[in-house]
Amino acid sequence: MPRMAETAPFDRRLLRLRRDRAARTVPRVMPLLEAVAELLLDRLNDTTRRFHRALEIGGRGAIAPRLSARGIGLVVSADLSAAMAARAGGVAVAADEEALPFAEGSFDLVVACGSLHWVNDLPGTLLQIRRLLVPDGLFLGAMPCLPTLSPLRLALAEAEAGLRGGASPRVSPFPELQDGAALLQRAGFALPVADRERLDLVYRDPLALLADLRAAGEQSALRARDGRTPPRALFGAALAALPSPLRPGLELLVLTGWAPDPARQPKPARPGSATARLADALGTVEHKAGERAAPPEA
Amino acid sequence: MTETDPAPAPQAVDPRLLEILVCPLTKGPLRYDPERGELVSERAGLAYPIRDGIPIMLPEEARRLDA
Repeated sequence: MPRMAETAPFDRRLLRLRRDRAARTVPRVMPLLEAVAELLLDRLNDTTRRFHRALEIGGRGAIAPRLSARGIGLVVSADLSAAMAARAGGVAVAADEEALPFAEGSFDLVVACGSLHWVNDLPGTLLQIRRLLVPDGLFLGAMPCLPTLSPLRLALAEAEAGLRGGASPRVSPFPELQDGAALLQRAGFALPVADRERLDLVYRDPLALLADLRAAGEQSALRARDGRTPPRALFGAALAALPSPLRPGLELLVLTGWAPDPARQPKPARPGSATARLADALGTVEHKAGERAAPPEA
Repeated sequence: MTETDPAPAPQAVDPRLLEILVCPLTKGPLRYDPERGELVSERAGLAYPIRDGIPIMLPEEARRLDA
């Protein structure tokens, strides 16, 4: 397995530190996290399946209480930060999404809300999640996707280019909707669906957006971020360029997939297993492949 | 309840959690050592600490067994 520490886009150690600190400030942004949780867990209403053993990853206190309220007996809360896991509301475990510490088939529901966008090896993480599930277990995931935070990204890049003649990445790269279903399929999920939800946010003051990101532990954890202190003028210039009120546009990529279960999930019939002829159903005459239809008799 | 000193306070881990936890690196079994408050992965040679009843399943936080 290639060592990815040098090339991995995200600094997981830094992220853990950020989430440790944010454990105290996260109540500030709880209304937003709860709105996202509602959007995502609404998907559970689409199935008649009952769940008994759930793992939630990165929920920050918005997911686990809602799962318990749905009558799920065991809810485990995993977070890279032990402090964040402790306040998440489930049975707490400090765990890395990239090396999950659970046995195969431990859960019948896994919900990952708000941490997958900081994972370096997303295909690997989804594969591990699929293995944690019993056959016919459900995975629900939500992560920001483009164009989330695009105005901020653009304003920072332009301001920095003006001040320094170059720009360094300061906002996390987010995946696009198209990436979602392919990721699920690659991880071996059955009936994979990727779709998009939008939360309209309005900030009167761009500084409040930055404060909220910090309170949630969502400052950039990009490894390639410029380690030097940014020029004092950078954030001033960037924020001044942002429209007011600011609509940062939270776009969520919602991932739904089931652990394969040949016994209980729909699958295509085997070729040759039909009991009625298509030609009979259509009321027409069957021709062999390659045989030309006879010209109508004169 | 906010004990942070390194002396391993024997705090109970939810038994339902002990049933499903494995070593994050080897995915192999763990041995629960209630006295030290650790989950030991013999195969990885690591002991994962339990702090305030929370298993810390992060290799960089684990104690090396050969050390």
